[in-house]
Amino acid sequence: MLPNIDLRLANCIKALEEVVIPSLADGERMAREQALLVIGHLRMIGGQWKHALRFECASLDAMSALARTIAVSDPGFGGELADALAAIETTDRRDIDAVEAAICRVGAAIDKAILGGDGILPLSPAAVAAILAYGEKQAFRERTWFKLCGLDPDAGELPPIEAVL
Amino acid sequence: MVLAGIASSTKWDRNNIEPRVREILDRTVRDRVKGPYRAKTAQQVEQILCRYFAATEGLAGITISDVVRMAGGASKEQFAFTLRHSGDSAGTKLILRMDPLEGITQTCRGRESQLHRAMQGVVPVAGIRSFDADGETLGQPGMIMEFVSGVTQPTEVNRVGVTGIGSRFDEWIPKLAPQFIDAYIKVHGFDFSQADLSYFKVPRAGTTDAAIWQVNWWSELCWNALVEPVPIITLTERWLRENAPVCDKPVIVHGDLRMGNFMFEEPSGRFTAILDWELGHIGDFHEDLAWVIQKLFGVWRDDGVFLVCGLLPRDEFLAAYQAQSGNIIDPGKLRYYEILNAYKCAVMDLAQAIRAAKESNNHQDLVLSMLASAGAVFLHQIVRLLREA
Repeated sequence: MLPNIDLRLANCIKALEEVVIPSLADGERMAREQALLVIGHLRMIGGQWKHALRFECASLDAMSALARTIAVSDPGFGGELADALAAIETTDRRDIDAVEAAICRVGAAIDKAILGGDGILPLSPAAVAAILAYGEKQAFRERTWFKLCGLDPDAGELPPIEAVL
Repeated sequence: MVLAGIASSTKWDRNNIEPRVREILDRTVRDRVKGPYRAKTAQQVEQILCRYFAATEGLAGITISDVVRMAGGASKEQFAFTLRHSGDSAGTKLILRMDPLEGITQTCRGRESQLHRAMQGVVPVAGIRSFDADGETLGQPGMIMEFVSGVTQPTEVNRVGVTGIGSRFDEWIPKLAPQFIDAYIKVHGFDFSQADLSYFKVPRAGTTDAAIWQVNWWSELCWNALVEPVPIITLTERWLRENAPVCDKPVIVHGDLRMGNFMFEEPSGRFTAILDWELGHIGDFHEDLAWVIQKLFGVWRDDGVFLVCGLLPRDEFLAAYQAQSGNIIDPGKLRYYEILNAYKCAVMDLAQAIRAAKESNNHQDLVLSMLASAGAVFLHQIVRLLREA
């Protein structure tokens, strides 16, 4: 398939950099900022698109593993977590929208457990530890995924995207 | 050991929140469906302002000219303009600060205007000509401010950051740092008892109101906006509720008192205005301190020392504040508010910004999705802070 996605993204960036931005009048500050942001987004997308499905599948797996851990440590929430996990078993892992929807389904059940009916149900130390461990790992993955955004003060410590798939 | 997950005998009271904040949050949900929002053109702004000044001030012969969109702003649309009318042919330069349908956060122009007026003469602030808290005349909430000249970043520095984030001030530090600390002293030391702050409610001293009102504000914003669950945000909400500290003496809290919101003259370095009071409220002074010491707003000196807002080492800043204000900094409370502030940032980036962009309800959806991509920076910070708590 030609032209491929990388080529088209590169063409878009070149058009913005060499044609659109230079033709903007000096007073068009917002248009200039937006054009630069478009370039930034396109560069990020260029580094992400080939890995997007694998990244989301790994996110779903991490969220599901957390749900299974909480279901064991806090059996009172086991029913709803098990229902959510069962509901996503048939997720088509080739469909990124379906994978994202599955993340939301499991995540909502986890959130409900964490909130504990607005504080009246306890959350075990084991569950808290598991959520922190999940949060640490997932934050690292997401920072890596978006490291080209330029807003991470510690971007230098992040590996290539391939390392977090 | 993280203290979270303790069962309470009663449910959390999510309605323990400032009434005006509740109205703004409810309005956000109600009006969300009115989108998509489009950036205003200069011509539209001229028409809006002509109608506004005729209706609110009864002016005749109104002309609005020199409309210029101001830079930055993922939450508000801002325009500089000149107002002329039959009683002012020379013209007055003013600023329109106006809400898009949704921004990275949802706040009240009435509250912001009242804070500007209350702080007039206390610290440098732009004067408020008028405001329209619910957008009854402007068509959307907004405020008209006097124009103040100055810069928020030195014109010539080694490194300039976006919206003042990560800027280096180098040789400007001796001029700016004393004024920076002084602003904290004056804001937190202001006796607000006689000020018209009718859009605000004062938390009870000696209670957890100050903290819980903030948690209820930001958690409500989060749940109303959330697109995809983020367990660490939810765990943080629980921790914040279960560990809320008592506020001994409520003060005016600016909410975003960092160098990017200080305007100053060159070459004197004299502060001309403190900007962006939209997150202002009455609460605990630790909240402002914890906000400004965030890594995001600082820079590292060449010798590896971290500078708060590019000005002072953290310990030096906190020691100077404590010595000059007389407010004793409680490390536990400071840590609590560091976590609350990281939580606020995560909610802005990973809930409200994404929702506003998804609904296409901002004038700069693209800025919001770019900011949202930095949300995990705050999640990383929260995990570290919770483990140390």
